[in-house]
Amino acid sequence: MPIFADTQRLYGTIGGFFETLTTAEEGQLIHRVGGPVLFVYHRPEGRILWNPCPPPGSWPAFCVSYGEESASVTPLLTFEQDADTAHRFWLGEIDLAQALARQQLRAIGSLSRAMKLLPHLDAVYPRYAAFVGGVAGA
Amino acid sequence: MRVAAAVLADYGQLLTEELELDEPGPGEVAVRLAAAGVCHSDYHVYSGDLPLPTPMVLGHEGAGVVSSVGPGVSSVRPGDPVVLSWLPACGRCRACLTGRPELCRVPATAAEHGTLPGGRTPFRRVAGEPVYQFSLTGAFAEYTVVPEAGVVRLPAGTDLESAALLGCSVLTGTGAVWRTAQVQPGESVAVFGVGGVGLNALQGARMVSAYPRIAVDVSVRRLEAAAAFGATHFVNAVSDAPVDRVLALTDGEGVDAAFEAIGRPETIAQAFNATRAGGRTVVIGVTPPNAEVTLNAFAFPSQEKCLLGCWYGQSLPARDVPALLRLNAAGSLDLRSLMSRRYRLTDLEAAFQAMLAGTVNRGLIVFDA
Repeated sequence: MPIFADTQRLYGTIGGFFETLTTAEEGQLIHRVGGPVLFVYHRPEGRILWNPCPPPGSWPAFCVSYGEESASVTPLLTFEQDADTAHRFWLGEIDLAQALARQQLRAIGSLSRAMKLLPHLDAVYPRYAAFVGGVAGA
Repeated sequence: MRVAAAVLADYGQLLTEELELDEPGPGEVAVRLAAAGVCHSDYHVYSGDLPLPTPMVLGHEGAGVVSSVGPGVSSVRPGDPVVLSWLPACGRCRACLTGRPELCRVPATAAEHGTLPGGRTPFRRVAGEPVYQFSLTGAFAEYTVVPEAGVVRLPAGTDLESAALLGCSVLTGTGAVWRTAQVQPGESVAVFGVGGVGLNALQGARMVSAYPRIAVDVSVRRLEAAAAFGATHFVNAVSDAPVDRVLALTDGEGVDAAFEAIGRPETIAQAFNATRAGGRTVVIGVTPPNAEVTLNAFAFPSQEKCLLGCWYGQSLPARDVPALLRLNAAGSLDLRSLMSRRYRLTDLEAAFQAMLAGTVNRGLIVFDA
């Protein structure tokens, strides 16, 4: 049974969490990636885009857009995964290298800059867990 | 202590910096480096193809002398010559207990984060910013701190410049042939990419009397050099279609074992397509972590081909390094000829360029004694 019953709940949870990051210090890390990042989800289907707001240091750090609204921006990097995988990732339960190797998560585009953020995600995972009220992964 | 190190400040930006290096902690060893090989994997990190955190001390194929040890270290002591292992396995997990220490997740997870196991970063900038180290080694530094399982003691008097190459390219190339593909006498072999690792795959194939031993490369110089390391036939992938040429050299059948030692999806597919029915294709080369390769799916059941991966030559350095030293002493393995050029720490970018241009077998960063 998927964790998110439908796209709206996906957007409300993961998208809602992303929106909290736009005004958090960690949100400024988006500028290290150097461009828009698109998240494509399956089961349920969905698209969420992070679009950095220049210059670095400004607030919000990035803007979040959903679905068709996100299609007007060309992403620098796209992550494609099942929504359940995404939920587990933001809980810190997914080894990114292993997920890429098993194609549980596909990355299309310039991965190198995003991978530099890996050490910084340890501070972000607890925020997601708190946001969803401690719901464990499937 | 203060040490000079080659630091990847950001992708494509190398600096030689003075860093602070902590004393070794429990279970750790400090090593004064004598020499460190310049490997394509270091370049992959430099370019961002193998994306790791920065700033980072590069280098992973090194040898030196133990300068101090942390509490609890028992296998080495100050003054011991050692070669570094970039996969210090835990010895307790399922991978280790089932004879596959190269798949141990403890060093792999630490390497992905650029730290030692447990998250420690012994290198720091003078201002305090932590500096990561490549693959639990960080060999492009005057000194480094590594886990005890990350050093293999060498016999006294071992030439440390030769020994440095045992830390990666020799273990990896020979291991791919002996352990992953298990090449038998008389079997045919093709090596796609005859740089540092590929040359050692050829040496490994020569030592088990494989024939023919086909070198495939785009560099005329690398192909010429491959002859000295065991290649019997040569395919220039610029002027010839490599799959067609390998098939022509093997009566249209393909080779028993093909090795890809470059790290590109296109050449992985070529190596697979050049493998005979029932044969083995071994991928040694490191691609970016999101790279994908396209192969003909029907070839798997209909031709019973095996596609295998090889990480660190499926080696156990504590066992395999002494064996390789004995083979070198016996004249079966040639370590000396692998070293084409010596560089100072400040010349790392030039060393990368020479490696990419194919003008060296293996470049070596050497440190003052």
